[in-house]
Amino acid sequence: MKLSKCLKHAFNMVIHSKLRSWLTIIGIVIGVGAVIAIVSLGEGMQQTMTSQLGQLGGDLLTVTAGYSRGQGFGGHFRGGGGSSSQATEEEIVVDRFDVQVLKGIPDIELIDVNIRGNVDVTFLGKTGSVSLTGVDQKIWSQITTLDIEEGRMLDSADQNVVVIGARLASSYFDQPLGINKMITIEGNAFRVVGILESESTSIYMPIQMAYQVLDDKENGVYDSIIVKIKDEDNLDAVIEKIESKLMLSRHVTEKDRDFTVSSNKQQQEARAEMMASMNMFLIAIAAVSLIVGAVGIANTMFTSVLEKTKQIGIMKAIGARNKDILLIFLFNAGLIGLVGGILGIFLGALLSGSLPALMGQTFLTRGGTIVSMNSVIMAITVSILVGMIAGAVPAYKGSRLKPVDALRYE
Amino acid sequence: MKKEPLVVLKDVWKIYQMGEVEVPALRGVTLNINKGDFVAIIGASGSGKSTMMNLVGCLDMPSKGHIFLKSRDITKLPESDLASLRGITIGFIFQLYNLIPTMNAYENVLLPLELQGIPDSIAAKRAREVLTLVGLGDKMHNLPTQLSGGEQQRVSIARSIVGDPEIILADEITGALDSVTGKEILQMLYRLWKEKGKTILLVTHDLKLAMYAHTIVELKDGKILSIKQNGAMKKFRRNKK
Repeated sequence: MKLSKCLKHAFNMVIHSKLRSWLTIIGIVIGVGAVIAIVSLGEGMQQTMTSQLGQLGGDLLTVTAGYSRGQGFGGHFRGGGGSSSQATEEEIVVDRFDVQVLKGIPDIELIDVNIRGNVDVTFLGKTGSVSLTGVDQKIWSQITTLDIEEGRMLDSADQNVVVIGARLASSYFDQPLGINKMITIEGNAFRVVGILESESTSIYMPIQMAYQVLDDKENGVYDSIIVKIKDEDNLDAVIEKIESKLMLSRHVTEKDRDFTVSSNKQQQEARAEMMASMNMFLIAIAAVSLIVGAVGIANTMFTSVLEKTKQIGIMKAIGARNKDILLIFLFNAGLIGLVGGILGIFLGALLSGSLPALMGQTFLTRGGTIVSMNSVIMAITVSILVGMIAGAVPAYKGSRLKPVDALRYE
Repeated sequence: MKKEPLVVLKDVWKIYQMGEVEVPALRGVTLNINKGDFVAIIGASGSGKSTMMNLVGCLDMPSKGHIFLKSRDITKLPESDLASLRGITIGFIFQLYNLIPTMNAYENVLLPLELQGIPDSIAAKRAREVLTLVGLGDKMHNLPTQLSGGEQQRVSIARSIVGDPEIILADEITGALDSVTGKEILQMLYRLWKEKGKTILLVTHDLKLAMYAHTIVELKDGKILSIKQNGAMKKFRRNKK
């Protein structure tokens, strides 16, 4: 029998056992839908990661106070424990002395310093709390990977001016906050000179002004020092050099180290790796429902073979070969998988679209969700395969029935 | 001129294993069916006639002995060759019609041709022709449930002849029909033998129906009791086993 005819008969079998087929299909729909939704979350996270990785730059290093031994991403802390080289005994910090040390390393091209905090910002009567970063305005524009959308970056002569994130400019307040508009930060007036492409609510201003706005910050003490190295290929060697110089200047050893030098690239790679592992874990959980769906197909196919035993006998009596029967049942199972897969993709896309709304802004949903063509193709292929694998044993059993026994079956 | 044997059974045994007990259904049956013969196999229930038909139709294999179909020993053929033999050489008509309930009359008749891989246009033309031949040209798209018993049996006949087989095996084909319809069906079978030259093996327990055949083989307890030429009632062979 031609393959097209086997497919036709398989299709007819699906059509003529509507209720049972649909019940089986639901199992696959749920499995595929769950996998698609989770994969779409993963792809969203992946894309955010990739874009962040691109934004951060592989040649940038961050020096922060504190040191954690099993550090992963963000594995540093401020304050508490250990000794301080330049500041108070209680608080470990990085400061202008560390910057001086770093300036003595020839592999370093640029050094930016910054402090951060949350501030109340007011525009046209509406106030909100946003993140503020004070930066060395002479260096920041050369070292940052953020792009300007409108206006300009900070420059060396700037004082009461800020550069703001796109979301703060466009939708945070009742009215758009444009270039040259005045905003009040902690009671001080600032003029907006630039709007970043980045969809954030962050504010960037000269570090000296930030010291005035952020009361708890001490002049000359930084939250982090950002270092741009000359040659990205020497990343590991430069990290080692910085660590050794700073340990010397801060009078610490490897054992009581009180600072962290982290590469943005390494951090993001570690984060991406962790996200990928978590994604795999979630997919594995979703795959369980796919396996349950596959068991459903196997069950349906066994029932179908049993129910159609007499028909198998009739078909064999009029010339059907074992292969024909096998293919018809395999295609039947594959079709159930295919229909389940297609509907599962729709369910998955629906779920993936609603997940950010259902789960809120968590680190899982921050990147949005992406149902890629790859995951669609993969879902269809997997669901057909799941169907055919689940249907293989029943189909084989059906094909091996002796015609005379099958014909006698009632 | 000596007729060419189409089916040869040589000392054929069929023993069913029922748990520990062996139940012989056929016991050393030897029989030749020539091309163009119309043979009726008669006997009481349990005499082995359906078993014999299943063996001749390659639906089952003998426990002992040999069956030659067109000079090929079917006991030595692989399943795929047996399937081809069933599809091309043999046409089956069953007592309960055995139509596929989800297919209409036309699709049921088309099925053997699809299994043989006959091109669609030729198969469609042939299926319509045979359905018209059995008088169902206007009911091609009816499902079996929308046809009477006699009509379903005519679909079954159409399906059995659509591939132009050399031998037609008919098992109690009037068993589920009233006497008038049964007679019509038998006359249709008779015409196939007479006009188309088909070899027909008719299994029946009804001696009146067997009278349509020109050779009557009587089975009892799995053995051939007699082979009679219709009308002459001449006993020319008896299996003494």
